[in-house]
Amino acid sequence: MYVVQTNDLTKIYENSYIALNALNLRVDKGMVFGLVGPNGAGKSTTFRILLGLQRPTAGSVSVFGEAMSPERADIRRRVGYLPTNPSFPKHMTPITYLEFVGSILGMDSARAKVQLARLLQAVDLATAAAQRIRGFSTGMMTRLGIAAALMGDPELLILDEPTSGLDPAGRKQTIELIRELSGRDRTIIIATHILSDVERVCSDVGIIAQGRLIYAGPMAEMRRLARQGSISIEIEGNTSAFEQQIHTLDEIGSVRYERIGSEFRITFLGTEPLSEYVQRVISLVDRTGVDMLYITTGADEIEEAFLRRLEDDRTRGFLRAAAWAAAHDSGGGELSDFSELEQPDAGLPRHPAI
Amino acid sequence: MQAFLAILQYDLGQLTRSWVSRVWVPLLIVPALFLVVVARDETELASETMAVYIAAVLAPISALAVSILASGAISGESNIISDSILSRSVTRTEYVFAKIISRVGFTLVVYALVVTPFSYLVIRYAIADTSVGGVVAGLLMIAALLAFLAAFGIAMSVAMSSVLPAVLVVLLAVTLSGAVLQFLGLSWMSTTAVIDGLPETFRGDTPVWEQVRVVLVFSLLTVAALVSSVWLFRRKDL
Repeated sequence: MYVVQTNDLTKIYENSYIALNALNLRVDKGMVFGLVGPNGAGKSTTFRILLGLQRPTAGSVSVFGEAMSPERADIRRRVGYLPTNPSFPKHMTPITYLEFVGSILGMDSARAKVQLARLLQAVDLATAAAQRIRGFSTGMMTRLGIAAALMGDPELLILDEPTSGLDPAGRKQTIELIRELSGRDRTIIIATHILSDVERVCSDVGIIAQGRLIYAGPMAEMRRLARQGSISIEIEGNTSAFEQQIHTLDEIGSVRYERIGSEFRITFLGTEPLSEYVQRVISLVDRTGVDMLYITTGADEIEEAFLRRLEDDRTRGFLRAAAWAAAHDSGGGELSDFSELEQPDAGLPRHPAI
Repeated sequence: MQAFLAILQYDLGQLTRSWVSRVWVPLLIVPALFLVVVARDETELASETMAVYIAAVLAPISALAVSILASGAISGESNIISDSILSRSVTRTEYVFAKIISRVGFTLVVYALVVTPFSYLVIRYAIADTSVGGVVAGLLMIAALLAFLAAFGIAMSVAMSSVLPAVLVVLLAVTLSGAVLQFLGLSWMSTTAVIDGLPETFRGDTPVWEQVRVVLVFSLLTVAALVSSVWLFRRKDL
């Protein structure tokens, strides 16, 4: 049984905007699952449906193996939720608000007080515990939201942009807190577009774009895919000669590069080991007589993989459209010819989350 | 049940802290005390004094206050409902019922706390031309009107996403209802007609079936508005 499972989850707002497009998401118990995607990709909508705050237009969603609906308070009791830029009753203080959350959760007053004191300490709000929320900064609101999400010691924690609005210290602290929470048989789903956060805490990652899950897999696999053929090198000297010969790095020419000043980001589309590609780049440096300032295969690797997945998805979308148009023109409807393109991650390793 | 009680307590706290409540209650009490003194000194009729108070003070001020308080019940919290409350272990039904009990209950409690001592004092110090049954019936009719106004405000609060349009719709509906009801041949249902007939009602001169008709119709309208609120809120995307 998955902790979270959606089947063809679709949400269309007022027949005008498709927020989720047949989303199939599966999250196992104990996972720290990072849901990554651009703004408007459908991350928050997914969460709101998971919590029963919104109804799906089509498809189904189950949490802890049971169908979620607005009336399933019993399921929500086991879930902690941090929304993006959370709002709270402004006249309350962190103490009175967390007491209120505790009473909603059915906690007795003494237990709620112990829990809220512990949590306010953990999110570094102890000194502001008696201040009105009205004067809180965005970062303080986020930290209070995290405390509120943890009040009931939930089995599933859903965090929507948990580090947004936080200063570097607050961000580091939040990441550490999530790491600490993840080691307790708890399932955590984090939506973010800060990819380094995902890399630091998540065991698994899913990429969502235009309401569809276009990739899901273990973090290690994502890193491997990113490293597969990406090298960054900074050189000085005869950079033009180096640039002119980049295409010779791969015999069949499946190499792309981007130049930013004296830095080249070279992407190999082939399937040979990365070490082989590194050697070829170093030989090219020797051949062209440039001075190498640094070379790396790890910089921005997750960003690279993320962008590559988005690019792949766009390409598949274009190919689908082209194939559909071709089938339509021929009057055929030969949809089976390009059915492989409809796979959410054609050509990539399969994962239970898809 | 725990969640229902927590939200009820929270909302009653909101209402007692609200500036509307803080203005509403003194605005009802001060003229009431003034009218008691005038009625005693000028030997006014109790029925007329009570009717004047309701028509000139209680009805207009309470209509405005109840419209604002009820119309802000849910729309006034639209930014925190989902983030802070309904994403926790609360059902929609628990939430909306807590709001209904709180807002309608608060309206009726304030009304009762003001009119009960006022009626007692007026009957005692003015010329007592009222009957007990007539006073109870007259006050019940006004209570039914206020309860309906609160229920209608809550329904608008569920239907609309911000407070101001909801308040405006409620006030507009109250203002225009007299003309519409007259056009429909139902002028007895208008607040104006009910308030105009209060002196006779307090004296016990209004036929019982007319009193029962007003109380019954407005109670049914209140129930209809509340059922619609619950139905609509349970289906709403937050």
